[in-house]
Amino acid sequence: MESRIIEFAGVLRRHGVRVSTAETLDALRGTNVTGLGDRETFRATLRAAMVKRTSDLETYEKLFTTFFSGLGDLVDELASASAGEMSDAELQDFLDSLRDLIENQDIDISDLARALALQDAGALEQMLRELMDSRPMQTPPGDNPSQQVREAVDALGAQSLAGEFQRLIQAAEDAGMSEEALEKLKEYLAQRAKDLGEMIKGMLRFKQEQKETPEQQVKEFDRLLDKSFYYLSPTEIKKMREAVTALARKLKNMMATRRKRMKRGRLDVKGTLRSSMEFGGVPFRVRYENKRRERPQIVILCDISDSVRNVSRFMLQFVHGLQDLYSRVRSYVFVADIAEVTKLFSDNDIQTAIQGAINGDFVNVYAHSDFGRAFKNFHRDHLEVIDGRTTVIILGDARNNYNAAHDWAIRDIAERAKKVIWLNPENASTWGFGDSEMALYSKHCDLVEECRNLRQLYKVVDHLVMD
Amino acid sequence: MNAKDPAYSSVDEVRTRLAEQKYICDRNIATVVYLATQLEKPLLVEGPAGVGKTELAKVIAASIDAELIRLQCYEGLDEAKALYEWEYAKQLLYTQILKEKISEVTEGTKTLSEAVDRLTAQDDVFFSNRFVLPRPLLQAITNEHRTVLLIDEIDKADAEFEAFLLEILSDFQVTIPEIGTIEAKRIPIVVLTSNNAREMSDALKRRCLHLYIDYPSLELEREILRVRIPGLAESLAGEVTEIVQKLRLLDLKKAPSISETLDWTRALAVMNISDLGDDIVKDTLSTIAKYEGDLRKAEKELDTHVKKKRAEAVAASGAAAQPEQSDKDVLH
Repeated sequence: MESRIIEFAGVLRRHGVRVSTAETLDALRGTNVTGLGDRETFRATLRAAMVKRTSDLETYEKLFTTFFSGLGDLVDELASASAGEMSDAELQDFLDSLRDLIENQDIDISDLARALALQDAGALEQMLRELMDSRPMQTPPGDNPSQQVREAVDALGAQSLAGEFQRLIQAAEDAGMSEEALEKLKEYLAQRAKDLGEMIKGMLRFKQEQKETPEQQVKEFDRLLDKSFYYLSPTEIKKMREAVTALARKLKNMMATRRKRMKRGRLDVKGTLRSSMEFGGVPFRVRYENKRRERPQIVILCDISDSVRNVSRFMLQFVHGLQDLYSRVRSYVFVADIAEVTKLFSDNDIQTAIQGAINGDFVNVYAHSDFGRAFKNFHRDHLEVIDGRTTVIILGDARNNYNAAHDWAIRDIAERAKKVIWLNPENASTWGFGDSEMALYSKHCDLVEECRNLRQLYKVVDHLVMD
Repeated sequence: MNAKDPAYSSVDEVRTRLAEQKYICDRNIATVVYLATQLEKPLLVEGPAGVGKTELAKVIAASIDAELIRLQCYEGLDEAKALYEWEYAKQLLYTQILKEKISEVTEGTKTLSEAVDRLTAQDDVFFSNRFVLPRPLLQAITNEHRTVLLIDEIDKADAEFEAFLLEILSDFQVTIPEIGTIEAKRIPIVVLTSNNAREMSDALKRRCLHLYIDYPSLELEREILRVRIPGLAESLAGEVTEIVQKLRLLDLKKAPSISETLDWTRALAVMNISDLGDDIVKDTLSTIAKYEGDLRKAEKELDTHVKKKRAEAVAASGAAAQPEQSDKDVLH
């Protein structure tokens, strides 16, 4: 069992679960304590010792099943199915007589045929397992399943199975078995031959599952990061959502350490006096107060017209996913009109809220983009939400359809705010051409960034939580 | 050290002993607790809020008659508050008061070095345990009795504290510069809980056994209700758990935990409600839904549940339930 557990640790590692040698040793010690008798206990033991991240639990459960019990379960299942209408006792009698037949008549058949016919589940599993562990598949996985089955059949020496079973039936006939019983035996053996096919297929499937590395997923993730927001299929949007959640979590974890580093603040008089007692009243060790960091307030203005809707979607998810890093987030959406959607986020889960915010319940999404008007109205109705602690993020392509730009509104906002950041999902080289008012607006912004894919978005958000 | 004196002798014993403390758990939890006590490894418990992580440590202590020492973590928790504090003030005060005694000791010495030598002989007095103010970690290590050390919400503490904790958890010994190294008399059973506010470092995780406590299954939750709230009607327990389990599948801001289920059921029990169709039940929903949006979803779920029950009742008893049905129509 020891080697199986070590091997299992290797399988876990291949699937991205980090298992150290010390943890494998713990697992071994653990199984010594809890024993191998009960599968659930065994499962819990390995889980406690080897899987330390909650996100890995799912992978673990899947692998445990295929690795420790999948094959055995399959063999058992098929065996009990082959009994057909026979009751347990009848089956037992049937198998006993079959065994007598094989032994008394001294029929020369292979171990495989014998194990199959006599339902020796242990031996069968052993054979399949050896095949699974030893031979690398010649045909690349997933390429040609029937070819793989053929290879496995060859390796097991199962080509001769039909002939062997035939000899067995012949022997039974010679021994004077009744017509009816003979028929039953034929049927049974035919079924078992089919079962072997199932077992081999199952084995190949398990092998495949263990082999599969999450490398592909990593690549996929990388690809998503660089994929332009403009061209996303619905499935990609779904995957992207998960990616945003993962990135947000990563950022949150990093913040904990970073905050700490920037914490040292003013001289702590009380603390310094207290620690000076240690040195007879000489303030030898100087203490500092922890700096109280102001969490940034964020006001986010999202263009949700067709052209930039996807960026807005992920930006909203990002910022609201990181809510607790900020003291307050207020969100507005606009096309030509502007409306606040903050409450939507406090009342609903994040995806529903985003969907609600961008689907046109608040502002007409079929209107032509009019940044000028939206900013003017924001200036008129909501300017008071911005103060010296607020960072304003504007998301949009600044394609104004040749309407009045009203950039004075942005100027006023910038004067009140701590910072104004403009994120433009368009390629920077096209800014300012045609109806783009980027040149005009960017004059008033502290930071203007191109934001065409997740990687760039992440960079911006990272920047946001830093200061 | 106390391998000859294990806390439990088998996984099943863990389960029954915890059940005696009214803590109902599945085999997984029992196995991991057993392992932790046998291998003398710290146990890191994670899971959603309110599933009984802290409670687990408490009942382990109660079930093996151990002393529970609790260290609540928070941002800014440091060594002085977690391990020990050296009482300089007290030390200083003592030396001031004992000035005369000190001069007695040094009386008759001719040179300074001779006086220092005399004093050095009395070193122990100045650097002794009496000036150490033990905090939870030191208490747990020096305790003569069997101890369960609960380090609660470790995710709230800073990363440095985690590193510092590592040292203690791997060796179970503490070095106090003024006194020396103190080794654990009995290795305590250490339970760390985390709500996953941040990911714990890999180093810490490697040293611990990991236990993830999820929401319980329907049967387990019903069993918990039955044990924790004696005299509860079986049918009500069934209905309550059914609704709560369904609520957990919905996308709520804060899914109801076991503690919420218990609160709600207690509320129902106190108000003597046996039929969830009562209008007053809606007012008690705030015990399981803590957000406005969640509350609405919970109400909806309750409505569908009650309607379904009614329909079943109608189907079962035919005309008998008819008036009730029309009564409901009027209400709407």
